[in-house]
Amino acid sequence: PAGGMGLEPEPLFQAWSYFRRRKFRQCSDLCSQLLEGPHGEQEPDSEYSVFQAAWSLKTRALTEMVYVDEIDMDQEEIAEMVLDENAIAQVARPGTSLKLPGTSQGGGPSPAVRPVTQSGRPITGFVRPSTQSGRPGTMEQAINTPLTARPITSASGRYIRLGTASMITNPDGPFINLSRLNLAKYAQKPKLAKALFEYIFHHENDIKNALHLAALATEHAQFKDWWWKVQIGKCYYRLGLYREAEKQFKSALKQQDMVDTILYLAKVYLRLDQPVTALNLFKQGLDRFPGEVTLICGIARIHEEMNNISSSAEYYKDVLKQDNTHVEAIACIGSNHFYSDQPEIALRFYRRLLQMGVYNCQLFNNLGLCCFYAQQYDMTLSSFERALFLAENEEETADVWYNLGHVAVGIGDLNLAYQCFKLTLVNNNDYAEAYNNLAVLEMRKGHIEQ
Amino acid sequence: MSLFKARDWWSTMLGEKEEFDQGCLCVADVDNSGRDKIIVGSYMGYLRILNPHPVKPGDGGQPEDLLLEVQLREPILQVEVGKFVSGTEGLHLAVLHCRKLCVYAVSETLGNVEHGNQYQIKLMYEHNLQRTACNMTYGPFGGVKGRDLICIQSMDGMLMLFEQESYAFGRFLPGFLLPGPLTYSSRTDSFITVSSCRQVESYKYQVLAFATDADERQETDQAKLGSGKRLVVDWVLNLGEQALDICVVSFNQTVSSVFVLGERNFFCLKDNGQIRFMKKLDYSPSCFIPYCSVKEGTINTLIGNHSKMLNVYQDVTLKWAAQLPHIPVSVKVANLQDLKGVIVTLSDTGHLQCSYLGTDPSLFQAPRVESRELNQEEFDAEMKELQKIIKEATKTQDIVPKSEKNRDVIVTAEVSPDLDVESQAIDSEVKAEAVPSVTVKITIQSRVTVKKPNLEVCVQAPLAVTCEQFVFDDLEPDSSETVIVSVFLKRNFSPSELEGNCVLSYSMPTELFPEGILKAAQCNFSLPLRLICFPAQPSKAANHKITIDTNKPPISFLTIFPDFVDPSEDDQANVLGFQFLSGSKATLLASKTSQRYRIQSDQLEDLWLITKELRLRLEEHFKKRNCKDFTCAFSGSIPLQEYFELIDRHFELRLNEEKLQELLSQRAAQFRAIERRLLTRFKDKTPAPLQHLDTLLEGTFREVIALADAAVENQANIFQAFTKLKSATHLVIMLISLWQKLSTDQVAILEATFLPLAEDTKEMGWEETVDAAISYLLRTCLSKSSKEQALSLSSQLCMPKDTSRLKKNITLFCDRLAKGGRLSLSTDSATQQTAVMPGGCATIPESDLEERTVILCSTAMLPHHGQITKQKFKP
Repeated sequence: PAGGMGLEPEPLFQAWSYFRRRKFRQCSDLCSQLLEGPHGEQEPDSEYSVFQAAWSLKTRALTEMVYVDEIDMDQEEIAEMVLDENAIAQVARPGTSLKLPGTSQGGGPSPAVRPVTQSGRPITGFVRPSTQSGRPGTMEQAINTPLTARPITSASGRYIRLGTASMITNPDGPFINLSRLNLAKYAQKPKLAKALFEYIFHHENDIKNALHLAALATEHAQFKDWWWKVQIGKCYYRLGLYREAEKQFKSALKQQDMVDTILYLAKVYLRLDQPVTALNLFKQGLDRFPGEVTLICGIARIHEEMNNISSSAEYYKDVLKQDNTHVEAIACIGSNHFYSDQPEIALRFYRRLLQMGVYNCQLFNNLGLCCFYAQQYDMTLSSFERALFLAENEEETADVWYNLGHVAVGIGDLNLAYQCFKLTLVNNNDYAEAYNNLAVLEMRKGHIEQ
Repeated sequence: MSLFKARDWWSTMLGEKEEFDQGCLCVADVDNSGRDKIIVGSYMGYLRILNPHPVKPGDGGQPEDLLLEVQLREPILQVEVGKFVSGTEGLHLAVLHCRKLCVYAVSETLGNVEHGNQYQIKLMYEHNLQRTACNMTYGPFGGVKGRDLICIQSMDGMLMLFEQESYAFGRFLPGFLLPGPLTYSSRTDSFITVSSCRQVESYKYQVLAFATDADERQETDQAKLGSGKRLVVDWVLNLGEQALDICVVSFNQTVSSVFVLGERNFFCLKDNGQIRFMKKLDYSPSCFIPYCSVKEGTINTLIGNHSKMLNVYQDVTLKWAAQLPHIPVSVKVANLQDLKGVIVTLSDTGHLQCSYLGTDPSLFQAPRVESRELNQEEFDAEMKELQKIIKEATKTQDIVPKSEKNRDVIVTAEVSPDLDVESQAIDSEVKAEAVPSVTVKITIQSRVTVKKPNLEVCVQAPLAVTCEQFVFDDLEPDSSETVIVSVFLKRNFSPSELEGNCVLSYSMPTELFPEGILKAAQCNFSLPLRLICFPAQPSKAANHKITIDTNKPPISFLTIFPDFVDPSEDDQANVLGFQFLSGSKATLLASKTSQRYRIQSDQLEDLWLITKELRLRLEEHFKKRNCKDFTCAFSGSIPLQEYFELIDRHFELRLNEEKLQELLSQRAAQFRAIERRLLTRFKDKTPAPLQHLDTLLEGTFREVIALADAAVENQANIFQAFTKLKSATHLVIMLISLWQKLSTDQVAILEATFLPLAEDTKEMGWEETVDAAISYLLRTCLSKSSKEQALSLSSQLCMPKDTSRLKKNITLFCDRLAKGGRLSLSTDSATQQTAVMPGGCATIPESDLEERTVILCSTAMLPHHGQITKQKFKP
């Protein structure tokens, strides 16, 4: 039997190649064509078939389309903060908790100089999911979650958005009908099970079924596969069973040292509000994987959240030694310099970011402020001009106008400052700082009653 | 993100609309001429051999760079160069098609001129394949010398081995689903692949060779497709992710490493499958190649990714990052035209680039913001124009509330002169038989459209109104609304003030904000004395007496207290009795001979309202007569001792509150502890007996409730004591001002000093704030020497242990005033600032007094706020 002489490679090979090149849409379409072929049954049964391979490949392609690294995904909702049932003592000892706004330990700028977020943590140089302290309003979202019986934890906020991604990618309905799936059967086929698990977890966002599958699979693997343990841990984490998740991660680490597992375990500790344990874990991890950027970065973040700014900066510098294109580290060191009254040095870091191609409103805003405090007045206004040009929403615009108002106060143009603060309020009507400063300006003018 | 881009040395675009992938690029000396060539095969079946020799860096492809282009009739999945032909050690080209493996010899025919050279390929041998191929690897399997054997992996998991011109054997990989990358390690003589179970698996060549010949069995028994003999795996490492590529390198003889590029991590393994190091990648990699060892013991690797970047790592340390013009699907390192280490990258659309690393900045040009030529005069003119517009706009629509003049919405409150005929009081705790009430008529007049008006009427407890809040429909321009409420005494003690106010909050739509801007309007009203007391028999004896001197002959009470005096009774012309609803009595006496009035009562605080009313009515009376020089005076000593008793009473209750709260928190902690124990018991899979924990829980619960009740009661008492204290304080202030004949400004300072708080709380109580304010005054305008001024205040307000310091300070304060001290805030400002700054803004009384320092504090706060907003980066 001679091979086909056409100029198209075999469809399965083509799909496989698409997958490798991350052309998931084409890959998934091609797999769908294969699946609609003569083997048109819902579940792959035989030991090996083209059908089975295509099914698995499509599962993986769909997963990759919506994949977000679970480690970066963390949003502590207000409901979870309020109804925290893992806390043991009401008040933590100093230096062991992230929840206390905290006293500065490392001799960094005091909180009076460096602004803090609403939850009392120091403003960081980089927006990470978990630092955008839960805004009220997500409470309802959390409670309205229908997926699990435990309304307080689980699929809230970003998780939900991920889950709905599946509906968008497949207008004809889900690719795999989970309710008809015999999970026990798949659990015995490790080659299919792992891809299927990721599909259920990331694409369908059905944690309960994912956990069910993982539990069966780890049993089938006689508890010897660390990967399944990590997955069970991830599910437990999502369900808010942090202690159970910790057990799984620890057991996985015993079998095989992996950077990801360390990161997951540290995340559990942070959620349990045990930053010191997390720090120790990171340090152990660094012994095993010296120079791993994500671990050093994790240490730096914890130090920063615990208000230990100077040692956080040290760790960020270590990060840069390993990877000098690390945007987060550059931004954090830059802001740290800014708040310790070294705007010239901060300026250099921000300029570096600009050169590296970061091009957004916030960067130009910071550049403008640095220029102003470093007395490079010629650049200040043009930076702000660009920041305004790049602002994506009214809140960003308000921020820029607010800072422009400061610059105006700084150069003594109170009229301009007045207008700037007013523009801030036009863009964001509950900007408390702008009201305060407007009041001060009015007072200067002697309009006390206003 | 990178500062630099890979410098383009030579690049070209291969074909049109052709597709390329990982295996399509190979760099080798394919024609055995001593120089590297680039061999590219495409899925469209084109095979090209290129030899770039740019005249200057950055040149595009020249026709003579393309040595050979032939179209083979099948898609080319992979090209490799090795010693594939028996009997010679020369390099030959192996081309993998879907169902065929071809080995070609590439040769050059010299022409007369350089571009006349011709290249040909000659088919040496070919193998037709039973199964669809996927990828291949080659090497000296089994340790043969001078020959390379080929191993092809099929899409359904069979490894097919070819000993050059002959087919050797085929073996199925166990547990196969989708093919993974495949490589051969010559040191261990084994094939390494990453399976669908997401683990790296290594199979010894020997084991493969001696396994039962699965192939024959397959052919005889098709039904057992895929169920080949289970191969014994040499080692397995669970990676937990799929791999994109795998590569074995040994740059020095002692160490050989297996590099695996996963989808999210990058691994380096030892020969035996243990992890040497790994690196988590924060991007999606597309291809990689470990290329050399610059430093002893480390290996440099190039990793391309889907964000068009090429990263150079030395082990796990990023050494360089460069931008590429495309997403590479394959990367190689070549020696071309005497240039060593050229990076060759291929994109999936056929963009082939040879580049080198250099400090050529990636020219990211931020788009220009629209800007105009500088023309000073035009700017000035425009600026003026704009300022004018802004000014206009500010007049008509402004988001900052305007001053009180010409308000668009006016709230007025009218208190009816008589008490209600039928009392409107509800739920009053007063024990008197009839609780009077008075009607207040509140009118809202609006000249503009008003949305969501919301009126709130407030009077200070113990007074209350029948209805506190009104919500109206949106008001049309030039319309009005009227509501009627009644005020009455709700709780069983006298208020410290007979005043109330009403606040209207509404939103006013403007052009910019059609939904409206939140605004407020308010007005105050004062209530009649009859609301809380009624005339009674005067009593001669009383504990507290104060005497007010005037400079006019006494007025008959018949004229100034018509609402309390029964005109038929003559003797009331100079004696008047008041019975408060709360039970206590006060008597007002007018001297027949001298110009004096005396107020007396058993309670100090009850004197206040009567004294105030008397003074007000007298002033009003004389004003009506156009008599402007009427003054009151007070000559007796200030009743400080009685005042201090009230302070002590209030303070005692505060201490009590603190005690109760501490007890409450103790009990609550105990309650939670018990609860936690219970919960752990219930959570346990094998429930243990409760051991009377439930009884304990219930007992603690009762205790908590009892304590909470006590605390609530205490709070009510504190409130009552505080109201009394406020009344007494008002009285003291009035007496001091009459005694020292203070001006209105000074009275204002006095009031700010003694009555800083509308309500006192646990955190900030009356005693400590007043103490701080008085100490401040004593240290500044009332100080005796500059030495006293230098003392700094304690920075924080906290509840004092006792009231002795406060009493001492109040006494001293009165002394200093008596000795001629003047209350003023415009004294030497330098000393004031030093005195105030440590206190900061925390002490409210000072900020009330000290405008200068407020500005200082808040401007000092300005820059901090400024930076709140700055740090928002997105990755």
